[in-house]
Amino acid sequence: MKLSAIRPMARVLSRELAITALLLIGVSFVVFIILFLSPGDPLSILLEGQMPSAEVRAGVREAMGAPRAWYSQYLSWFTGMLQGNFGTSIRTGLPVLKEVFRVGLNTLTLTVGSLLVTLMIAVPIALYSAMRGLNRMSWLLTMFAYVISALPVFWLGYIVIYFFTHKLGLFPLAFGYTTTTQKYSWLYPLLPILVLGVGNGTISEVIRYLRDEMERVLAEDYIRTARAKGASVWKHSFKEGLLIPVTEIIASKVPFILGGAVIVEQVFNWPGMGRMAWQAAQDRDYPVIMGIAIVAAVFVRMGSLLQSVVYVMVNPRASRE
Amino acid sequence: MKTYSQISGELNEFSDLPFWKKTDTVDLVYVCYGLFIVTLVVLSYFLGSFNLLPRDPQDIDLELMMAPPGSAGHLLGTDFMGRDMLSRLIVGIQAYFLPGLLAVTIALFFGTVLGVLAGYRGGNFDTGITYFTNLVDSFPRLVLILLVIAAFRPEIYYIMIVVGVTNVPVVSSHIKGKIQFLKQKNFIEADTALGLPARTIILKHILWHNCRSLLIIQATLGMAEAILMETSLSYLGFGVQEPTPSWGNMVQSGANYFMQGRFWPSTAPALAILFTILGFHLLGDGLNNILENKRGR
Repeated sequence: MKLSAIRPMARVLSRELAITALLLIGVSFVVFIILFLSPGDPLSILLEGQMPSAEVRAGVREAMGAPRAWYSQYLSWFTGMLQGNFGTSIRTGLPVLKEVFRVGLNTLTLTVGSLLVTLMIAVPIALYSAMRGLNRMSWLLTMFAYVISALPVFWLGYIVIYFFTHKLGLFPLAFGYTTTTQKYSWLYPLLPILVLGVGNGTISEVIRYLRDEMERVLAEDYIRTARAKGASVWKHSFKEGLLIPVTEIIASKVPFILGGAVIVEQVFNWPGMGRMAWQAAQDRDYPVIMGIAIVAAVFVRMGSLLQSVVYVMVNPRASRE
Repeated sequence: MKTYSQISGELNEFSDLPFWKKTDTVDLVYVCYGLFIVTLVVLSYFLGSFNLLPRDPQDIDLELMMAPPGSAGHLLGTDFMGRDMLSRLIVGIQAYFLPGLLAVTIALFFGTVLGVLAGYRGGNFDTGITYFTNLVDSFPRLVLILLVIAAFRPEIYYIMIVVGVTNVPVVSSHIKGKIQFLKQKNFIEADTALGLPARTIILKHILWHNCRSLLIIQATLGMAEAILMETSLSYLGFGVQEPTPSWGNMVQSGANYFMQGRFWPSTAPALAILFTILGFHLLGDGLNNILENKRGR
C-alpha cells in the first residue's frame, strides 16, 4: 500500500469502527429489550413453584443481589458481556461464549463457502448478460436464476442427500461419522455449502444487482474512451463495475446466508450456530440464543467493515465524505 | 444515460424479434404469471376458509397411501397417511395468508413513515433512521425470530411482526430515495411556493401520485418474504403443528419417506412453495420494470 493511501484508510477505519461499536451496543440493547419484555425471568424460573408469596420472592431477589431497575439489569448484563461472560446455558450448564465459539467456526466455514458458491454462479451470469445484452441465453439464465431463488432450501437439501448418500452411496448419513468403505466422505461438508450457496434465495437479486452495476459502468464516458483508444475495457471497468458491487453484495447478504444456515444445518446435521439456535429456541434456552444473536451481529458488522475498507482502497476520495 | 440494453430494448419494441428480446413482452409475461399465482392463492384462501374443499384434508385412507398425482378421486395424489394432497395444499394457505398480510402492512406503514421523515425532513431524522436501518440489518432474520420464539412463544403473529419490522428498512430506503429524487423537481418547489400544507404535498403529491407503484411492488416482495419465513419456520417445527397442514410442515413430515424413494409427499408442497414465491417475485420485478421504467429484463 502506498504511503498516501494510509491516512484516508486510517480515517475510514476509525470512523467505521466507531459506527460498528455504536451498532453493537444497539444490538445488545434490542436483545435485552426482547428478553426484558418476555414473561418470566431466570429468577422466577428458578423459583417456580417453590416460594409463592411475592414478598419472599422480592426477598430472595434482594439476597441474591439481582438488580431491580431495567437499566441496572442491562448495565450489569452488558458489562458482564464485555468481560466475556455471556452467561451459562440453562439446558447444559456450560458457558455460552465457549459453546458458541466451538460451533461458530463451522458456521463461518459454511457461510463463507456458500457466499463463494453464490458469487461463482452469479458473477459469470451477470457479466455475460451485461456484456451481451438481451439474447436467448441471457434470458434463459435469468429465468434459471429466478427459479433457483424460489426453491425451498430444505427440499433442495433432501434431494442432494438422497442423490449422494442413497443413490451413489458416497457419504455417511450424518456429519462426522466416517467409515472405511466410503473414501470420499471427507467431501461431505461440500454438500451443505453447495446447497446453501445455490438455495439461499438471493441469487436472482445478486445477479440483477451485479448486472445493472456493470451495465451502468459500461455506458460511462471513460469506458467509451477506453474502447475508442483500444485499451482493455475489462481492466477499466473491473473496479467500479465488479469489485465494489461484489463487496457490497457480500456485506449485505451475510445476514441472509446466516439465516439460511439455520435451515441447512438442520437438514444436514451440521454442528453449527444455526442448529444450536434451533435447539435453544426449542428449549427456550435464551442465554444461548442471546449469545448467538450477538455473535451473528458481529459477523454481519465485520462484513460491512470489509466493504468500507475495500471501497476506500478503490476510491480514496470516499474517505472525505 | 441510457444503457446499451435499454437502447436496444427500445429499438426492438416494434420489430419482428423473438419475445425474449422485447423487454416489455417479457415483463408482461412475468406480471401475467404473477397475477395468476396471486389470484390462485387468494381464491384458495377463500375456498379454505369457507371449507369448500374437494375432500376432507384430515380424512385418513390407509389403503391409498402416497398415491401419485392423477389417481382416481385425488387430483394431486395423497400423502403418507392417504390424506388428499390438493385439499391439504389449499388449507395450508391459511397458515401464511393473514399473518403475511400483517407483516406487509407493518412494513409498508412504518417504512413509509420513516422514509418520508428521512427524505422530506432529512437532517437528524435521516441520521437516526439510517442508524435504525443498520441496526435491523445487523440481525439475521431467522436468528431474531428464534430469539423472539425463545423469549415469548412460537406464535405466528409474533413472528410476522418481526418479519414486518425487518422489512421496514427496505421500504423506507426506497421511499427516501424517491423523495430525494422528487425534491429536485419543479412541482414540489411550486407546491411550497403556493403555500400548500406539507400534509397535501406529502400525502397527495408525493405518496399517492408518485409512490403508489413502489408500494405495490414492495408489498408483493414482502409477501414473498413472509411466505418464505412461514414455510421455513413450520419446517423447523415452530409454526403450525400436525395434523393442521402448512406447506412447511408437509415438506418436513413427508421427508421421512423421501429417503425411501417416495418423493411425492414432500415434493408437492415444495413445488407449491416454489411456484408461489416465484410468482410473487416475478410480479414484483415485472411491475417494477413496467411501472418504474427500469428497462433491462
